[in-house]
Amino acid sequence: MPVCHLEPLNPSEANCRQAYHSVFLDEPNQHLIGNFALLPLRTRTRGPALQLPPLPAGVTELTIDASSESYDPLDEVLQLFRANTFFRNFEIKGPADRVLIYGILYVSELITKIKPNMGRRDAEKAVMNSALDTNFAIPGDAGFPLNQAFEPPKDRNEAEVLRQYVGQMRQELAQRLLNRVYADGSNAPSKWWLSFTKRKFMGKAL
Amino acid sequence: MAPQTPAVVMDNGTGYTKLGFAGNDSPSFVFPTAIATKSQGGGGGGSGSGRPAVANKPSFLTGGAGPGSHLSGKRGTEDLDFFIGDEALAASAGPGYGLHYPIRHGQIENWDDMERFWSNSIFKYLRVEPEDHYFLLTEPASQYHLNYSAPLNPPENRENTAEIFFESFNCAGLYIAVQAVLALAASWTSSKVQDRSLTGTVIDSGEGVTHVIPVAEGYVIGSSIKSIPIAGRDITYFVQSLLRDRGEPDSSLKTAERIKEEYCYVCPDVVKEFSRFDMEPAERFKQHTVTYPNGKSVTVDVGYERFLAPEIFFNPEIYSSDFLTPLPNIVDMTIQQSPIDVRRGLYKNIVLSGGSTLYRQFGRRLQRDIKHLVDERIAASERRSGGAKSGGLEVQVIEHKRQRHGPWFGGSLLGQTPEFRSYCHTKAEYDEYGPSIVRRFALLGGPGST
Ligand SMILES: Nc1ncnc2c1ncn2[C@@H]1O[C@H](COP(=O)(O)OP(=O)(O)OP(=O)(O)O)[C@@H](O)[C@H]1O
Ligand SMILES: [Mg+2]
Repeated sequence: MPVCHLEPLNPSEANCRQAYHSVFLDEPNQHLIGNFALLPLRTRTRGPALQLPPLPAGVTELTIDASSESYDPLDEVLQLFRANTFFRNFEIKGPADRVLIYGILYVSELITKIKPNMGRRDAEKAVMNSALDTNFAIPGDAGFPLNQAFEPPKDRNEAEVLRQYVGQMRQELAQRLLNRVYADGSNAPSKWWLSFTKRKFMGKAL
Repeated sequence: MAPQTPAVVMDNGTGYTKLGFAGNDSPSFVFPTAIATKSQGGGGGGSGSGRPAVANKPSFLTGGAGPGSHLSGKRGTEDLDFFIGDEALAASAGPGYGLHYPIRHGQIENWDDMERFWSNSIFKYLRVEPEDHYFLLTEPASQYHLNYSAPLNPPENRENTAEIFFESFNCAGLYIAVQAVLALAASWTSSKVQDRSLTGTVIDSGEGVTHVIPVAEGYVIGSSIKSIPIAGRDITYFVQSLLRDRGEPDSSLKTAERIKEEYCYVCPDVVKEFSRFDMEPAERFKQHTVTYPNGKSVTVDVGYERFLAPEIFFNPEIYSSDFLTPLPNIVDMTIQQSPIDVRRGLYKNIVLSGGSTLYRQFGRRLQRDIKHLVDERIAASERRSGGAKSGGLEVQVIEHKRQRHGPWFGGSLLGQTPEFRSYCHTKAEYDEYGPSIVRRFALLGGPGST
């Protein structure tokens, strides 16, 4: 629980504002590995994620709304990224929040790969290089920074499925981030997105 | 003495001093509460001079004569070698002068400097003869920042002030009013305010601190006052940090402050606001041109700071790691800690005052968030009592045209009333009873007056 240091017994404490949470927290029948939710994704990458329908006509990655049946946790990651990176405290309310945390921390990492004068093709190379690299840490691995809050998979089989799912998240996030960072068609990255390289959600980095 | 001279109204803030005449809509002068004195030698120094600060050793306690002669005997000597306000900033940029801010957290800390500051305010800026005028001065209600249930302005401060105004300046009459009470009076100009009540909660946010001050029938409820260490200066720093993160060509404090004052507003929801910037970039992003004295200029892009900067009132965590309680919660706590029979009046009349309350939609967001806290508490207590409905509670935040200089404008309103002079202490009374006479003032604008 993020703490309000002021007069902790006051009922107003309960209303301390905080970072935004996932709308998928209450999703029924979540497929869990450890306490991480393998939520359905809207992606053509190969892996264990259940598929959501493609974007309906007239809807873009920028305009998609949480009420759409195509809306997925990666849309949410990109929507909440800029707001949530200002927060150090985050109370995890359920498995879907861990998807959100991982996604935000990965976007932070990706952004550092895009340099201010990179055109889209070079940026694509740089971020896909990271996204396709299978050498990344998952919960339970020694190099994973959030092991206090993420449970490890039960066995090697679960670990492999989780690794493939996270790999899908990474590839899909890389593509969608590029669409945002190069949204204006100028072939120059958005300085507004790149300005977030110095901020760290929850004070953490992958 | 001419009977018709207007009262002089002076509001000396931590950051800015507002000077002018009762009856006017705005102060004649607004400048930094800063003084530049000779840095060394010559005996004309500021805080480093040999003369003890009056606060440490008030002359009326040492038997009257003491060191209390102040400037009156010295006018025309080395004491004139100082500057105040914008001139002080300019002088201190060159050699030989040191810059001092005699007021900290709303309280006078250096009485020598303050006396010089007042003297220049009266003789050089307002250009009045004090013996022809009554003076209305302001004082803060609380002494310390950081959420401390603060004592009221200590009585010695008033006595020091009276000594300077009556003995050094020889003023005709003096009234010292509490800023929050004046800010309430200033809100009487709002069409939302029906009865001219002096009950309400004042949120005064200037440069250094933000105070939340409950007032019941003109009297400050001192034990419930709260302050938060977030105000204009912090918002400027936050804007500056965002400009730096983007590597803007000018991220000076001055530019950050300009951007803050010109472009910032409060949004209903940060995430939605980010997507507005994505959808309508042409309307949302702005460009600010900075022109330098040498004629060169640069263009600074203005973006998310427009809504993120004042958001630190509502989500302090995005700026500060050790102060996390949102302003709406502080207001709610302040009122909850006030006597139960005045709470309804305190929620109904939440009045904004000071430069850092001027953001567009500030009042609306504050009202929404406080209302939300209140409604939740009522719902919880209804659940506990098994569904008994309570009447609900009106929460109203008042914004008005005179908010910027709320305390000054309230002083201007009250200082022009026909009975104002009868509420003042006069020079004759001072001479007869001594400085302790200013420990009490009858409540101006309170019940019974018009
Ligand atoms: N339009 C505006 N929007 C936002 N902030 C503003 C605006 N105009 C002035 N300010 C800020 O208001 C502050 C000054 O306010 P004010 O004059 O009420 O303070 P003060 O009385 O000197 O200080 P204090 O009340 O802390 O003793 C500065 O930080 C200034 O940048
Ligand atoms: Mg002030």
